[in-house]
Amino acid sequence: MNAMLRDTTLLPIWEKIQRGERLTLEDGLTLYRTGDVIGLGKMAHEVQKARSGDAVYFVLNQKIEHTNVCVLSCKFCDFAAKKGDARAYEMTSAEILARISPDIKEVHITGGMPPDWPWERYLDIVETIHRHLPDADVKAFTAVEIDFFHRKFRLSVEEILRQLKAAGVRTMPGGGAEIFSERVRKELFPQKIGAREWLAVHKAAHRLGIPTNSTMLYGHIETLEERLVHMITLREAQDETGGFLTFIPLAFQPGETGIKPRHRFTSAVDDLRTIAVSRLMLDNIPHIKAYWVMLTEEVAAVALNFGADDMDGTVGGEKIAHDAGALSPHALKKEQIVRIIRDAGKIPVERDVYYNPLILHADHVVGKIPYLNSIPFYAHLVVPDAKILPVVPRRMGMLSAKGMMDAGLFSLMDYLAQEDRLEPLGFGLASRDQIKSVMLFSKEGWQGLEGKRIGIMDDTATSVQLLRILLENRYHVHAVLDRLHGGVNDLRDFDAVLLIGDEALTRNKCGLPGFDLVYDLACEWYTWQKLPFVFAVWAVQRHLDAERKAALRNAIESALEAGESDFVSIAGAHGRRIGLTDTETHEYLAGFNFRLGEREWDSVHAFRALQGPELARVRELNAASAKPETRNP
Amino acid sequence: MVTPMMTSIRNKVREQQRLTREEGLWLLRNAELLDTAALANEVRYRWNPERRVTFVIDTNPNYSNVCTIDCIFCAFYRHPGDAGEYTHSVDHMIAKFQEAADRGVTTVLLQGGVNPRLPFSYYLELVERTVKEVPRVQPHFFSTSEILVMTEVSGLSLAQVLQRLWDAGMRTIPGGGAEILSDRVKKKISSKKGTSADWLRVMREAHGIGFKTTATMMYGHLETDEDVIEHLDVVRNLQEEYHGFTAFVPWSFKPGNTPLEKIIPHYATPTRYLQMIALARVFLDNMPHIQASWFSEGKKVGQIALHFGADDFGGTLQEENVHAAANFVNTTNTEECIRLIHESGFAAAQRTTLYDILTVHEIPAEAA
Repeated sequence: MNAMLRDTTLLPIWEKIQRGERLTLEDGLTLYRTGDVIGLGKMAHEVQKARSGDAVYFVLNQKIEHTNVCVLSCKFCDFAAKKGDARAYEMTSAEILARISPDIKEVHITGGMPPDWPWERYLDIVETIHRHLPDADVKAFTAVEIDFFHRKFRLSVEEILRQLKAAGVRTMPGGGAEIFSERVRKELFPQKIGAREWLAVHKAAHRLGIPTNSTMLYGHIETLEERLVHMITLREAQDETGGFLTFIPLAFQPGETGIKPRHRFTSAVDDLRTIAVSRLMLDNIPHIKAYWVMLTEEVAAVALNFGADDMDGTVGGEKIAHDAGALSPHALKKEQIVRIIRDAGKIPVERDVYYNPLILHADHVVGKIPYLNSIPFYAHLVVPDAKILPVVPRRMGMLSAKGMMDAGLFSLMDYLAQEDRLEPLGFGLASRDQIKSVMLFSKEGWQGLEGKRIGIMDDTATSVQLLRILLENRYHVHAVLDRLHGGVNDLRDFDAVLLIGDEALTRNKCGLPGFDLVYDLACEWYTWQKLPFVFAVWAVQRHLDAERKAALRNAIESALEAGESDFVSIAGAHGRRIGLTDTETHEYLAGFNFRLGEREWDSVHAFRALQGPELARVRELNAASAKPETRNP
Repeated sequence: MVTPMMTSIRNKVREQQRLTREEGLWLLRNAELLDTAALANEVRYRWNPERRVTFVIDTNPNYSNVCTIDCIFCAFYRHPGDAGEYTHSVDHMIAKFQEAADRGVTTVLLQGGVNPRLPFSYYLELVERTVKEVPRVQPHFFSTSEILVMTEVSGLSLAQVLQRLWDAGMRTIPGGGAEILSDRVKKKISSKKGTSADWLRVMREAHGIGFKTTATMMYGHLETDEDVIEHLDVVRNLQEEYHGFTAFVPWSFKPGNTPLEKIIPHYATPTRYLQMIALARVFLDNMPHIQASWFSEGKKVGQIALHFGADDFGGTLQEENVHAAANFVNTTNTEECIRLIHESGFAAAQRTTLYDILTVHEIPAEAA
């Protein structure tokens, strides 16, 4: 990589990134100003691959603009109309419903701010869609609109969001952030909310378990410094709440919008620099979106190699950008998006509103567990003629059941549920003794959990089943296991919480207030069964040809040999990002056995023998998710 | 993840060793887009060390749309006698060139139709009168197919035809019509246009006399990756003989209104175009310039290509009819062309057909 950078001022920044250090505003300026656009893109692409592998996400989505009547008059907007204008319109819930095609997975609702709509009308739109189209999730209302509801209907922002969530809002769009600069706001959109209000709304949404998008409008009168301050502000907010799903740089669309200083489209090179710089600056936001409606389809295609892993979607019914003269065709067909993503060398991943993969439009995909404990397998893994998809264990099981995944490091339960079609490759993740990555944080000792509620995540079935077995078979305690909907932000109703992977590691170190007892489940299993616990098994689809299986086995073996030789160099940065020192990272990884021998298989058999109806339930879940019309939780 | 193959190719590029066809094919199929781009920049800055991009003020009129060779990728031609056919007089064309020269045009890229009803004297007169009456423009006339039809109508040998054109004052020939220099593909898309050997024969003969030409490639139709490499290899080999090529110009097939549209409904994605630009820059180690076509791929992709190994932005194309017939229209003017180059981070240098620099427009301070 170092040899790829023509501009040597990029080197120290690349080294910082590799050490897991945060970039400063000055670093951002160096990145923006480098003449080595390819070197910048390459750095961003490496970070993109470390996060998203070869995946590029898109969604079958549709935009609903319920009205263009708006009390504001922003200079850059060609969309808004005043009540009574010839082009003013206001849609009813029924009219909206009639416009949504049945295959849509995400309905994106934003619009003008009319002076006379009652609050119930907004709730009714969301409820109507939610009730009539169970396969479609609602992403609704920008912070600007939420703030408008808050002032107009005299309800707190939290109350507005709570009611919207109850009506069926799943996520929120990131529009209305524009650029976090008072100078620019006063000049271009003095009537709109500023950074403080925008961020307050988004943080409130995150705390209620509503993930949101973030945006930045660039290419008008803002400076590069203002762009970077904007990114850094978002990064700090994300540190606090962790609820941003994606960042969307929005290229300003000139037209009849009344902004005089810049009346041209942004240059393609500026667009790509902005994508790349944002991927490098925003080290805590999962996705960067190349929004083709504004970037053009062509630039969005190239952006997939410059840091972007999200191509938005089919965008039926987009209106706002087109009124300002955007160049893109009105709705890109799904086939076209798939073709563009494939040509960029990526896996087209059709997703749901939360970025869960639903359908992979690619052959030969190998699943990658995105946790620290799996890095020794993946850091150096190159599988000839296959692409890599990072995915949580439970989803990997579902995709495998749909026949969309060649191989992967499967959670033990998923492996057991598909033993008939999966062939083990001799590798996996097994404990030696303590492991610290499946932890029960509890207010009570084991015996005290009788009848209590334990919060679980749906990332993996194995740790949940291990907990269930320990409770019932070892301690003879019956507790209620219930999904954590609001993440670890909302634990009020629970007496214990089961955490896995990186979250467990972080909490193990800094603690989870109120949950003072901490149990390492692998350790519990070991002291009970005198066997190491096997968390995950590398397995390949049985029907694949022998040559492909052998190539995969060899690839894993050589990747693991390289990975095991130096845990800190491959995983140190990841560890630091979740709060571990290099020594802790090393000790944690050294606690795993990555090859499955006789004792490990004895443990798998012992675990299988203790299965109640749970294994059948996992099989049912997989079968349900394999049906295309079924909604994924 | 750096593969051993990439490391070995990178070392060869650094040591200025020629890549094999297998290495070219590996880059096209396996390399990450930006890895090939980084290699391309090594070669680009070796050939053209300055952070500057050239362009030419040119026009691309047609003297006739009559054509008898029925290429299935073309929406421009008419058969003799068809409605809408035209053939302009030499007077008409000279007047057009005068107008163009008045607008600052320095290069006229003139092509047909391949019209067998025109006598050889028509072509010679076009050249002679342009040189004499419009000395401000350089005649960059006639594709290889037209030159071959001149041998038929005149009964002269190829060498004689080219020598007469040279004597009339022509010094450069455009490199269009190469499409993909693979006979397997050529037979399918333009069976009457002659073989790869024909295109190469005309180019070789022309280079021998002293003509400079460009070499083009049209991809994104029926060709395989191997055909692309074949094309690049053939161009690279011919270049070794006389170094007569000034630039390599790839573009993607535009399916609109062509018979081929039924089979190939889309034009190739920008990723493919950038791969072609970068691969050509790496593979064609004896080619002075790689031209990005803002015109054929769109302005934004043209801008991006300047970072993928291209050092030339092509012409301003005051007039163009062939892509326009396929509903693919892009227009620009000199001022915009300079701005597009500046926005990409390069000084813009106006050049002649032969790449002599006329004026350099540095990036203005406020845009930097």
